[in-house]
Order: sequence, then C-alpha cells, then structure tokens
Amino acid sequence: MAVGDAYDARRAQLTDALGRAGRGDRAALREIYDLTSAKLFGVCLRICQEREAAEDVLQDVYIKIWARAGRFDASRASPITWLCTIARNAAIDWRRAAKGPVMADESAAAEVPDARPIASEMLAAAQSQARIFTCLETLEDRPRAAIRAAFFDGLSYPQLAVQMAVPLGTMKSWVRRGLLQLKACIGDG
Amino acid sequence: MDEPLTPEEREALAAELALGVLDGPDRARALRLQLADPSFALEVEVWAKRLSDLHLAFEEAPPRDMWDAIAARVEGPSVVVLEARLRRWRWSAIGTGLIAASFAAALVLRPVPPPMTLPPAQAVVAQLGDAKGTLLAANYDSSTGRLRIRAVALPASTLSPELWVIPTDGVPRSLGLVGARGVTELSVAQQQRAYLHEGSTLAVTLEPAAGAPHMKPSSKPIAAGKISII
Repeated sequence: MAVGDAYDARRAQLTDALGRAGRGDRAALREIYDLTSAKLFGVCLRICQEREAAEDVLQDVYIKIWARAGRFDASRASPITWLCTIARNAAIDWRRAAKGPVMADESAAAEVPDARPIASEMLAAAQSQARIFTCLETLEDRPRAAIRAAFFDGLSYPQLAVQMAVPLGTMKSWVRRGLLQLKACIGDG
Repeated sequence: MDEPLTPEEREALAAELALGVLDGPDRARALRLQLADPSFALEVEVWAKRLSDLHLAFEEAPPRDMWDAIAARVEGPSVVVLEARLRRWRWSAIGTGLIAASFAAALVLRPVPPPMTLPPAQAVVAQLGDAKGTLLAANYDSSTGRLRIRAVALPASTLSPELWVIPTDGVPRSLGLVGARGVTELSVAQQQRAYLHEGSTLAVTLEPAAGAPHMKPSSKPIAAGKISII
C-alpha cells in the first residue's frame, strides 16, 4: 500500500538519521529537524499553549535529541513515537514549572476541563485517519476529559482528582476503564 | 518486593505509565518494571504509540530562524571517542561483549547541558546488565538521596557485589556494597550525589567485603548500565 510504504520509508530514514546523529553527525540532526520539526512544534504548542514558550521548549527538545540519539533503540521504539515522547515530556516539564501545581478552583471544580475545540481535532482526525480521535469521542465525558488532561496537560492521578473534584479511586477507575475502552475501539491489539 | 500483578493490572499499569498519570511509589514501581521486564516495556511502548496519534492533528511549522538557534547550541566539540574514554579505565580486562552491551550508548558526550526546568523530584533509573540481559535494576530519588537497587540475577560468589558510579570523567567511585539478592536501599553520600546524573554509568564488581567501600575496583564489572532520567 502506497501510504504504508511512505510511512515505512520515513521511519527508516528517521532511524538512520538518529543513528548518525548518535555518532555526532550534525547534518543528521538537521535532517531529523527537517523531518519532524512541524510535528514536534505542534506537540510543544499544544501543551505549552504559549508560542514563545513552545519555541524555547522546541529548541531544548532538539538539544535533547542530539544528546540522546545514541540511545535510541529502533528495536524497542518507533522513532517518531520516541521523538514525540521527548517533546511531550519537555513541554510538560515547562508547564509544571511555569504554572505550578494544579490547584483546586471552587468555580472550576465541577467543570470538565475540556474547553479545547473538538471540531478542529475531528477535522484533522478525518485527514489523518487516526482512530484514537473518533475512539475518544465514544468515551463518557469525564473519563475522556481526564485522559485528555493527563495527555496534554501532564496531570497525574492526584492532580486530576483535585481538578475534577472526585475521589482518587474514582479517578483511577475512570481512566483505567477509559484506556481499555480506547484500546478496544482502536482495535490494534 | 512488589506484589505480583495480574495481567489486567499489568496492562493498566503500562497504559497509565504511557499516559503519565502515575506518581510517587506507583510510578517508581512501573519504571522499575519497565526496566526489568522487556515484555512490560513493550506494552508501554505500544501504549505510547497508540496515544501519540493524539499529536497527529497539531503540526505547525516553527519559525524560520529556529534551526539556526539550535545549530548554534550544538556547535563545539561534542563527540568523545569511546577508546579515549576507556583508556582511563583501570580495568584492563573488561570483556568486549560487556563493553559493546553497556557502552554502545556512551559514544556521545552531551554538549553542555542547557538549563532545563525539571520537576523537583527526578526519577533516576538504570538497569545494569551484561551482554545476556539485566542483572540488576536501580532507581534513585534525587530529593532524598535514596538509591534502591534490586538484584535480578546475580551469579553466586563468595565475593560481595560493590556498586560504582562512573561519571563522564571515567573514574569509578564506590557507592558501597549491595545485596546479592533482593532489594538493597542505600543512602548516597552528599558528595557522590552529583555523579548520579543522566549519562553516568552504574557498574557492579565482585569484591572482598573487607575494606568496602573501596577506593577502586579490583576486577572487571559483571554488570553495567547507563543512567536515564525519566
């Protein structure tokens, strides 16, 4: 299938470039940058929600990639997932440091922290054909909101429980059940 | 020791670790399992892949001058040749298989690390092994200086396992003796804590118990692994 071939070719190219970057080849880092910067900038923007911060974080992300490329193990991770994880963690670190711990807010406590536009995600999902977006929509509101807040805001169980004003045990069972429903819906094993 | 998990609990734990909702001891436990158990690590990876599709919708080109700013930060000498590093090791008889297994990732010395904002308590983890697999798994809490190391599969010996940290200067520093089985928890001396950072190597040698901690190892390491900050 043509789409699959393109994906495999890109994956092979990224894996190869990471290997060369791991041996100190700066041109390989440039290649990685050209292949992934739009995606990783999107990750940083989405999580930081401030353009200037996202730009700073993105710089740090490529410095980290440069430093860690030698440790990338193609047998254990797909290169783009590995790179996205670095970007996501860096952005979440920034967010935690910049915004401090999540505080309970009387007025917001009962609300679902899910104000971001769904429509644009759905549109993009249609283009990218990522099952996870449509599958997320099949979850109940609060488990979905919790999973999104965990993914995009880096909130832990205790923080989610505070933010959504439910007991920790309730939050854990929402998220666990939601994740297993997601897996069943995505149907990739 | 951790209680064994049911398959459902394992799956949930892998998903939770990938999603990033765990904290405290639950997170530490999941990270230990990820290091010690390749099948669990694979489950986490599958979940990370599944969730990473959530990033698909948000591509946006960064500003044009971004690459120049990055390139400026990776200038300067940043590559250290493995042989140069190993020459400083006093362990002349290190097996080549072990070197390949544990130092393959040591080729690149980080450029001067940029000041990064990190969460206050860092989970520092390492798995120590030889060419055949993991022998020990370690995790370290930088906020308390407590290091926990679990012997997964150490060979029987009349000698005692001694744990060393080898920072990027290549000189091993003893962190003391550890148990040949089960979990050993030790408090890392204040002056040693600075060595426990990403890129340093943890190694275990077999040493006479007398006189520990020793100034330097007397034999080649039976296990070694690099430290990752997660």
